[in-house]
Amino acid sequence: MTSEVVAEIEAQVRQMRANGQVPPELEGDLDKCFEEVAEASLFGAASLRDGDFGPDASHPTSGLADRPSFAQLRRQATAAARRQLGPSLRRLERRASLAAARLGEVASIRVHVTVDHLERLATSSQRASRVLAAARPGGSAASVAGALHPLVEGPLLAWVIERLSAAPKGTRDPARVVLHAECGDGRVVEALAARGFNVRGVDPHAPVRSDGDTRIVAAGALEFLGATQGGTLDGLVLTGVVDCLRPGEGRVLAQLAARCLAPGGVVVLVSARPEAVVALDPVAADLAHRRPLHPVTWCHLLARYGLSVLEVFEPEASEPDVFAVSAQRPTSALLAGEGSA
Amino acid sequence: MTARPVRIDQVIPSIVERDAVSHHTLEAQRVLHSMGFVSEIYACSMGPGLAGRVHPLSELPRHEPDRQWVCYQASIGSPAADAVVSHPGLKLVDYHNISPSDLVERWMPQLGAELRLGRRQLGELAPLVELGFADSEFNRAELEQAGYGDTMVAPLMVDTANFYSAPDPHVVRRLETARAHGGHDWLFVGQMLPHKAHHDVVKALACARKIFDPQARLHLVGRESCAAYAAAVRSFVSALGLDDAVEFVGSVSPGELAAYYTNADVLVCCSDHEGFCVPLLEAMHHRLPVVAYGVTAVPETLLDAGIVLPAKSPVLVAAAVQRVLTDRALHDSLVDAGLRRARSFTVEGARRAFTRAIEHVLQAT
Repeated sequence: MTSEVVAEIEAQVRQMRANGQVPPELEGDLDKCFEEVAEASLFGAASLRDGDFGPDASHPTSGLADRPSFAQLRRQATAAARRQLGPSLRRLERRASLAAARLGEVASIRVHVTVDHLERLATSSQRASRVLAAARPGGSAASVAGALHPLVEGPLLAWVIERLSAAPKGTRDPARVVLHAECGDGRVVEALAARGFNVRGVDPHAPVRSDGDTRIVAAGALEFLGATQGGTLDGLVLTGVVDCLRPGEGRVLAQLAARCLAPGGVVVLVSARPEAVVALDPVAADLAHRRPLHPVTWCHLLARYGLSVLEVFEPEASEPDVFAVSAQRPTSALLAGEGSA
Repeated sequence: MTARPVRIDQVIPSIVERDAVSHHTLEAQRVLHSMGFVSEIYACSMGPGLAGRVHPLSELPRHEPDRQWVCYQASIGSPAADAVVSHPGLKLVDYHNISPSDLVERWMPQLGAELRLGRRQLGELAPLVELGFADSEFNRAELEQAGYGDTMVAPLMVDTANFYSAPDPHVVRRLETARAHGGHDWLFVGQMLPHKAHHDVVKALACARKIFDPQARLHLVGRESCAAYAAAVRSFVSALGLDDAVEFVGSVSPGELAAYYTNADVLVCCSDHEGFCVPLLEAMHHRLPVVAYGVTAVPETLLDAGIVLPAKSPVLVAAAVQRVLTDRALHDSLVDAGLRRARSFTVEGARRAFTRAIEHVLQAT
């Protein structure tokens, strides 16, 4: 019977259209109106996500650009891996809960954390995405360290700038000459340049990341520092390379930093905590593998090569598994063996 | 012949309270216990209220392949499917349908990827599974299409709490006050997800108010599971000047839901994809006539107990609603047919069908 009724209704609608009882533009206007609000809503959601977790909408792990990888993440972020993610990710999860609450997706920020949640977080947070990706079974210690490679932003960036500003301005260049090794996509280089530093960056993957910025050179940190003339840097920022050090490379890096700094020059290194990397991948506990060093070890190494005014910064609220260490080359005495290392 | 298993465990990607597939899984566990099997549920993620009743997937036992079977509750892509694939015991799939990814991809790329993964995993499981059973004929046909050899229908074990809860008096009072000013109440129940097409119900309401019933109202009940889509629907309602006519109710208690069912005039469903659609059943139980877009499993769930439309142009939906609301004889016949249809879905019947499915495999092996 209902099929007959449906036929009658269809006939009635045809009749109404023929009689002009249905405004001709009505349905088309409704479709158009919804498409407009849909576009606006999609754009707004993406903007809010980016605004919450960083401005880099073009990053492959942000927004809508990385569709296939989420399926991989879902398959590979196992419950066991999730348990190993440690306090760092739990803190990030709380950030995502807050973001979800702001987006109106949940009524309370007390969200039960699930694998789904981690993946939702990964859509919004570059760091969480890298941590999750590194939690894949079989991920190497190097890739785990890469996942924890800290973003220098917020309070951490402010601290780095404050420390670099402690160096006296150069004699040859009115601005402080600063090198950032390894500078990644160059955002810290840009931030320092905007604050008046004469800054250059080096990164082994610079051709891919620098977008043609000539301030950034394609080179490894150890390689570039080894070729840098001694005593020419007012500031040195070390990231990336300090997360994936082979045995003995920490000592070499500290030695090179001390050699390259001008008197009064400041080195600042930003690193992942080794215990966080080991929590993600127990292989990193083996001293033979690439891994970051403890802040106490860095203080010891930097002091050993003559640097002083050692300071450690631990930005717990924003990056719980990250620390920064700074040291300054004394102005009154040259380091023994300078230029010969 | 394989030995009778000692245990039949269930694996489900995610299990939460007040979710149809989750409830079905818990009911299935009761059935398996009643059949004398040891049976536990293993999930990748679980709602806080289910801690202790459900185990992490990593604890899924696999020591005695001949004595341990595993039943996978399939509804989305998940690492859980991989655990089932690698499980050494006999495998069963209970299929609740996986929505096509293209319906949600634009709004929820992550979910789209998961849905694609789910379809792929369903295919990967096909040659490994002894029996695929599904909660509707529509879903069973999809299993067959995916390469499953032995398939059968075992209906969803529906949570009847929503059927028999007393309507919340506060909600009833509020709805009755609104009705006093005239106009009919439309209802749609379902999570606010793109493939549920809430926006098409809003379009139909806009047409109905323009052509038939200027004071018609719409109540959208269900969790806003996709923020971007929910925001779009809200903006759409505002852009059409329907803020006073459309209520975004959100997630409700069984009593509140019963109040909406008992006080509405018609349930309007414009979903693009439904594997079963429990709200149709709930509406029929509450003597609420249904107008629905007849795609996927919707015609099978409704049969002749609702107006099943071949298309969902807003004017057609509005005209169908108007006909149901003004043709008393049609209204009453739909209500009667709906009650009969709802009564044909009993938890006991679904339990028996699930039992038959398990016995079928026991005999076959």
